[in-house]
Amino acid sequence: MSNHRIMIIDDEKIVGDMAKLSLEQEGYGVETFLNAEPALKRLQEEKFDVVVTDYKMKGIDGMEVLKTVKDLYPATQVIMITAFANLDAAIEALRRDVHDFFPKPVKIKELKASIKRALEKQH
Amino acid sequence: MTKFAEKLNSIYRTIRGVRRDRESFELLFSRFRRVLDDNNKALEIITDMGDTLGGDYLFDIQYVRRSYADLHAAVGEAISDFDLLTRRRYPRLGDRFMDIDEGIRHVIDETVIAAKDLVVFYDQVTDGMVQAIGGKNAGLAEIKKALKLNVPDAFAVTTRAFDAFMSHNRIYQKIQLPEDGAPIPGASLHEAHELILHGEMPPDLHHAVDKAVSRIRSRCKGPCALAVRSSAGEEDGEFSFAGQFETVLNVPLDTAAVEKAYRTVLASLYSEKASIYQKRLGYDLRDMKMAVGCMVMVDAATSGVLYSIDQQRDRDMLIINATWGLGTSVVEGQTDADLYVVNKGGTGEIVETRTGMKDSMVIGSEQGGIATVPTPQELRMRSSLDPGQVAELARLAIAIEKHFHRPQDIEWAFDRQGRAFILQARPLRPPGEDTGTGMAEPRVADARVLVKNSGLAVQNGAAAGRVFILKNINDLDSIPRGAILVAHHDSSQFVRVMTDVSAIVTDTGTPTSHMAALCREFRIPTVVNAGNATQVLAHDQEITVQVGNEGATIYQGLVRQLVEHARNNSVRMDELAEFRKKRYLLRYIAPLNLVDPLRDEFTPQACKTMHDILRFIHEKSVAELIETAQSGVKASAVRLDLTVPAGITIIDVGGGLDNSSNLDHITAGQVSSLPLRAVISGMTFPGVWHSDAVPLNVNDFMSSMLRVPDIMSDNGGRVESNMAVISREYANVSLKFGYHFIILDCFCSENARNNHIYFRFMGGATDMTKRSRRLQLIARILGEYGFNIKTKGDLIIARLANIGKNEAENILDQIGRLISYTRQLDAIMKDDKSLERYARNFLQGIYEY
Repeated sequence: MSNHRIMIIDDEKIVGDMAKLSLEQEGYGVETFLNAEPALKRLQEEKFDVVVTDYKMKGIDGMEVLKTVKDLYPATQVIMITAFANLDAAIEALRRDVHDFFPKPVKIKELKASIKRALEKQH
Repeated sequence: MTKFAEKLNSIYRTIRGVRRDRESFELLFSRFRRVLDDNNKALEIITDMGDTLGGDYLFDIQYVRRSYADLHAAVGEAISDFDLLTRRRYPRLGDRFMDIDEGIRHVIDETVIAAKDLVVFYDQVTDGMVQAIGGKNAGLAEIKKALKLNVPDAFAVTTRAFDAFMSHNRIYQKIQLPEDGAPIPGASLHEAHELILHGEMPPDLHHAVDKAVSRIRSRCKGPCALAVRSSAGEEDGEFSFAGQFETVLNVPLDTAAVEKAYRTVLASLYSEKASIYQKRLGYDLRDMKMAVGCMVMVDAATSGVLYSIDQQRDRDMLIINATWGLGTSVVEGQTDADLYVVNKGGTGEIVETRTGMKDSMVIGSEQGGIATVPTPQELRMRSSLDPGQVAELARLAIAIEKHFHRPQDIEWAFDRQGRAFILQARPLRPPGEDTGTGMAEPRVADARVLVKNSGLAVQNGAAAGRVFILKNINDLDSIPRGAILVAHHDSSQFVRVMTDVSAIVTDTGTPTSHMAALCREFRIPTVVNAGNATQVLAHDQEITVQVGNEGATIYQGLVRQLVEHARNNSVRMDELAEFRKKRYLLRYIAPLNLVDPLRDEFTPQACKTMHDILRFIHEKSVAELIETAQSGVKASAVRLDLTVPAGITIIDVGGGLDNSSNLDHITAGQVSSLPLRAVISGMTFPGVWHSDAVPLNVNDFMSSMLRVPDIMSDNGGRVESNMAVISREYANVSLKFGYHFIILDCFCSENARNNHIYFRFMGGATDMTKRSRRLQLIARILGEYGFNIKTKGDLIIARLANIGKNEAENILDQIGRLISYTRQLDAIMKDDKSLERYARNFLQGIYEY
């Protein structure tokens, strides 16, 4: 059983629900958020090892999440997912030290593998 | 009118009046090829969507919208090209397309088709009313209409009535529902419950119910009462809400009494029990609309529940639980009911009978409502069904299962005249699928066994925790999280703790009860009828329960390997309401209902899905081509005589045959089409075509019966479905052998850039496991040749392009061999190991079975 904590931010409930179900299966503790604001607030209270965030969201978007997380909690890895392949966003995210970048639909197996690599990178 | 329809009509206006014989066959052929291209494109999108929505991908609504837009365009193109080809011979196909499209858009946009009426009698129910009257009502109405089985007289009170009631009484305004689907506090639940219970019927609803009650009264011979029950739940009934909503039995035929019962059922939407269930599966109470069914009570001598397959032990068997009087005690798991196991595959013999000790029975009381009374002494240990009745129930169950293409959970009753009635039918939820992950059961040699293979499995799995022996139902709320609930009786009340307990073990009970249905939905390892578990196990003792097909084995202490193994197998995406909602749209897209072109239902009206439309188009396009060819326009249809009985008719559109202009029959030697020659050479390669009949086992037989009614009519005699349209460099071959279809479309010329091979294989007579095993074998072999492969269920699509002429010929020869070799291989391959062996053999040129 791992004690790693994963945060999912996506404004579509189905994405968070599916990710939570599959990642809990791996033994991670998972919390999901429909928008970034409460998610960032939650990060102040507790440490998360990996944040998986959607790119395009109302209010604070994924890039902003990446920026904030990397500023405040550099050890936390960020994985970004987008509704479509977006090269510009990918390049900017890479500059900001994103751990991984996926266009949707994301194969869950690949997301799991990416999270595993992110956790290894931490230690 | 949509743009699509306008476009079609303008095309028809231009072509109308053009006489067939003036059209060149080449033009027809080019249209034919265009239809095929559209078809292939659409089918690939379907396969892609099936894959992505299958649970292995995170997807969002944009993906769904985008993919469906592509699919819509592709099928639209296919239809418009098909209409050109057939000169709009099937105008209803476009209508069906629009109907199916409408259904899909409702799923994507999450809108509900509003019901027109407040009350609908079962005999007035039509297609598309499912959302208005609920899955339960719709299923019964269909059983009555399509299968002509006895279903008591009944009417549905629709979701529109629900809306009317809720808004008339301003329920949503009066109670505070939290934002964002958060749990509803108990006080609000209670308030909503009371408001509904004491609400006022809107005048038009009152009038409609009053009219319906009078109508029932006028049609009823003799004394008559109603059963009033919910018909909520999902459209496909996959999640059943078994026992979660109130049912009011034996309601007098009096408008006020029926309205009171109606409100009682509605109010149960806001019971604590139901809300826990909904929360767990991710439903939002605000989205729930409840339809209600009001059905004439059967004066039941015997009633009960049956499962059309015994999923825990032997899928060839069906199980029946029965008791005297009304069936409530069986579904609530309170009676030691009679059990009958019937072998439905073969002779229909009863392979097991267990007569329960039926101390008490439930009857309708004269004042209305029901009463539990002691069973007359002489009936207590007497079997409540005679063999003839068991056989009749088995027949009904098979008919219903066949109609809905899925195993069923059926409530039934025999009245005092001995007539069988169907009271409810819903899909049976499969138990945990432990196979398929390739993980072996861990060994647990050192753990001490407390109970070995005891009871009847309800839900497979394993869990560890401390025993909580429930002596009184009021103690339910003190069960600690993670405990193993051990009780004497089972009860649907247990749903209150189902998110907390890790396993359930009961001394008595049946696997057909409501609790059992719920345990399967919640995937809680559960065993019932385990004898003396409440005595063998001690309160607070730590144990590990493993439930498998042989019942439960209970170990002392925590057996970590078992629990972890089970956890890896336990989570399933389809538990998520959001996921199911989206995936539900596949129901309108992927299933194939049109299988056999010789059956009457092979009409545009019978198309229920996009896949059906594509299949219809393909079949009729080929038929159109044959017909035109046979009418002697230019090319002609000739029979190809081969050394194997493949029964192929050839249409040559240019340079595909030598010297064949005046012949009805030709031989392989006269084929000059490069790709077809290669395929034939492979198909007739010595040893690849096995002509011995391979016996199907009962499961296979049932599975083919479920999909196509007449297995016997299928023999090699149907030449019209096997055909090849060819030119010198092109071949389009469609084959149907037994229950599988093959489409091969290939171009083979000197110019590698023009060359392609498209291979599609689908279906089979055997059960799904075996069929998909054959597909894996095909995928494995084609993979060796560099094909790009997609598989979904029992469909495989393989493509290869940009290959030199010699290589293409060589591969087509191999494909010819594969076509012959795999004809019956699904029935032969017993396990995944043999798959690997047969694949290796094939690649080495060894073709023995």
